[in-house]
Amino acid sequence: MANAAAPEPKENMGQPMPRIDGRLKVTGGARYPSDIRLKEPVYAALALSSIALGSISRFRLDAARAVAGVIDIFTHETLSDAIKEQVMMGQSEQAGYAASTIRPLQSASILHDGQIIAIVVADTFEAATEAARLVAPEYDARTPSATFGSDGVTIEEAAKISKKHEDPKIGDAEAALRTAEVKVDNRYSTPVQHHNPIELFTTSCIWDGPKLTIFEPSQTAHGLRFGVAQQLGMNPDDVHVVSSFIGGAFGSKGATTERTALIAAIAKKLDRPVKFVSSRADAFFVSTYRAETEQRVALAASRDGKLTALIHEGHEVTSRPDGYFVGGTDTTTRMYACPNISTKVSVVHADRKTPGFMRAPAEMPYMFVLESAMDELAETLGIDPVELRRINDTQIEPIKGLAFTSRSLMPCFDAAAAAFRWSERNRKPGAARDGDWLIGQGCATSCYPTMVAPATARVSLMPDGTAHVETAAQDVGTGTYTVVAQMAAERLGIDARHVKVTLGDSKLPPAPVSGGSNVTASVCSAVAKACDAINEKLRGSNSQNLAEQFRRLGVSELVEYAETVAPGASPEGIDQLYKGISALGGGPKLKDRIQYAFGAQFIEVAVHSRTREIRVRRMTGAFAAGRIMNTRTARSQLMGGMIGGIGSALLEATEIDRRYARYVNKNLADYEVPVNADIEALDVILVPETDDKVNAVGVKGVGELGIVGTAAAVANAVYNATGIRVRDLPIRLDALLT
Amino acid sequence: MTQFLKYVAGIQRRQMLYGTAATLAFLLVSRVVVARQKPVGKAAGGIAHEAGDKVDLVLDINGQERHLSLDGRTSLLDALRDHLDLTGSKKGCDHGQCGACTVHVDGRRVLSCLTLASMASGKKITTIEGLAGPDGGLHPMQAAFIEHDAFQCGYCTPGQIMSAVACVEEGHADDAAEIREYMSGNICRCAAYPNIVAAIEHAKVAMGRA
Ligand code: FES
Ligand code: FES
Repeated sequence: MANAAAPEPKENMGQPMPRIDGRLKVTGGARYPSDIRLKEPVYAALALSSIALGSISRFRLDAARAVAGVIDIFTHETLSDAIKEQVMMGQSEQAGYAASTIRPLQSASILHDGQIIAIVVADTFEAATEAARLVAPEYDARTPSATFGSDGVTIEEAAKISKKHEDPKIGDAEAALRTAEVKVDNRYSTPVQHHNPIELFTTSCIWDGPKLTIFEPSQTAHGLRFGVAQQLGMNPDDVHVVSSFIGGAFGSKGATTERTALIAAIAKKLDRPVKFVSSRADAFFVSTYRAETEQRVALAASRDGKLTALIHEGHEVTSRPDGYFVGGTDTTTRMYACPNISTKVSVVHADRKTPGFMRAPAEMPYMFVLESAMDELAETLGIDPVELRRINDTQIEPIKGLAFTSRSLMPCFDAAAAAFRWSERNRKPGAARDGDWLIGQGCATSCYPTMVAPATARVSLMPDGTAHVETAAQDVGTGTYTVVAQMAAERLGIDARHVKVTLGDSKLPPAPVSGGSNVTASVCSAVAKACDAINEKLRGSNSQNLAEQFRRLGVSELVEYAETVAPGASPEGIDQLYKGISALGGGPKLKDRIQYAFGAQFIEVAVHSRTREIRVRRMTGAFAAGRIMNTRTARSQLMGGMIGGIGSALLEATEIDRRYARYVNKNLADYEVPVNADIEALDVILVPETDDKVNAVGVKGVGELGIVGTAAAVANAVYNATGIRVRDLPIRLDALLT
Repeated sequence: MTQFLKYVAGIQRRQMLYGTAATLAFLLVSRVVVARQKPVGKAAGGIAHEAGDKVDLVLDINGQERHLSLDGRTSLLDALRDHLDLTGSKKGCDHGQCGACTVHVDGRRVLSCLTLASMASGKKITTIEGLAGPDGGLHPMQAAFIEHDAFQCGYCTPGQIMSAVACVEEGHADDAAEIREYMSGNICRCAAYPNIVAAIEHAKVAMGRA
């Protein structure tokens, strides 16, 4: 039987080698950070604020302290000198690592629901958990502003917050919209979402004199090392982070969150190893979240379907102190040819935790809106949605006039449309039925900016043809262990099964954050360069036999270390990398070119004619992302992205009680994510593409591409099934009850 | 949006399960032998409870007898992970909502986070570490998971595999639709679902249950 999980490699695609860490993962042998055995640890549990704004007037801790086994309870009264000011990751010119500037336990002030107000430490997990529930604060509570439309929120333009953001603009879009032959102009919204990786957020801290070791699942071992050092005012050389296996991340384990330095400070005070494993409810606060957005998109076109105007405005919620935003208009303005474009991104400050990145941070919410609007325009024009994309396809982006390094959008549409049998679709909404079910089909564009970061790696080759690759890069489930082995094997001409790969440890040569789908491109570039240097040395001998070459060279191993930056990028990025900063560049931010991966998704839904239950019956995605290192792991990532997109489309939302600015559904029963029964037929097509401009190895990355556009394809399919256009995610049956 | 109720070891995942095993302990503590070592505390409602009291027990895990002295509230999951260094079973929610902690107790799949360690005493417990043969040969389900790339981060995987083996042995793996239904108590946030279904369909043959 053919194995769908291991697609036959096409041009510019690597073998579907099974994951080299597979055996460890299926036997329970992979040690995730909370699996590391500690010597006589004590256990920490959090008490979180139950108000969103105000301050703590006093604590009643007697009941909590009376729990047998409790060692100590730390609050702002006892720990307020522990944490120095911190800089947010990627938000300013300064070296920043933190998810937020908010520093819990450093004062009595409460700035959001679920802020850490106390940390209980006890001999056992059970005692710590019980005592944390008995921590009784008294508050001076004030009325918080929850979200859009709440009293007291303040609005700030993104362009005023960050020099990195410029609202893309060209021509006169408002004038073009006024005079347009055909237009659509609508408002959309996307909800709060939480990453909810299945591994809980965990931290174990152990001190040995001035040296601190942290076991924590992290998307950036070096970033966490520097982040904690910054918060504790320590020498970063004294901090060691171990994160060999990471149980899913999706953005939630990228920036340094509040709990790590606090747990470290407590471990130091107690002089004991401290282990912290978050509860699932607390996990909704321990890390960040995808903020809700409200957006307006207006599209204007001539009767033949050519876009004449695009207006895209986005509002995103953030905390009071931090101007965090994702700003997806950089991408939405680059998708189609259009002479008149105007955009604006603004943040809305509310009494909320600072949000953060979640899988395709900007592209998921913003492309949902653009691709929904494209479908609405196609419908208004009476043009097939695929043809509308073809009419407006371009190899030159319209804002700066830069050429795409490669753009296979239409080949993806054509491949997916053929496999999906799009030509058999009934264009009339509500016309196709299967018994009691209304059937609808929709499609959308997927894309993701190709980002590359500076990276380093060390490769050792032995005379017996085995090799060892060392780099601090993380494998968050993406397959980094495996593709790194494949890259080294290919360059060294050895068997990939003979390559050992060590990752996820801040003692290793630094590598960028596992974010922005950059790691395969960035790290494989460094690995390839180190291997090339080894090959250069081997050329010192003429022998064809590896062992003989080593003998003649008089060495027992060849070790090479390499540093790489993206084509055209500054070598200073390596110095930043050595300070824990990942200088990601690429996508629409380059001066001489623009680089994106593209895809097309087609989805069929069935909507029950009476109950309005929505089922996804089949999904087809076709994607082109430059070189594919391993068709098996690439397909899995794209598939995971598409299913994550189904979650965004139909299930996932963290509900807020607007009166109190508090989350309501902090568990996996009420925050619904896709389960096995939600996913029926799913087909991933890898479209061959070669791009030698994006980076040394021609890889674009696929970690986020698959989740972009899915929600729009679902919304468009729901429209085709029912004639009802839903512009607010997630789409639930109540939106279809008319 | 699932069509039917999902059962894992008789527990609906989307049922409101807000209590932990520790809460359950208050109800069940009278059934186990408690070796009092510390004074009995008083809970908020005035109910006597046994916080911190140790329970001596023997567990039969992967064919080995393991002797433990635990806080009476310790879940089977925490006993495995924190007291026996069997960290293959994972904690994804501690509330019976994710399936990452699934083990076999007397051949049935059970959520170890909702099972007190003391309740498993005298029963035969199999964890992911006990699934491979003594020679290290993989169980057909483990091999199929690798071959079909039925995981990415691997965190839900031990639970998925233990559920998958039970799913086949229960006779709930007749076709893809049935597998999807009976595997829906195990969340995979990386979303390897189609690959998990394919792995089970293949392993079923090797397990002689096709
Ligand atoms: S940890 Fe037991 S079901 Fe989630
Ligand atoms: S493999 Fe990551 S949660 Fe399933």
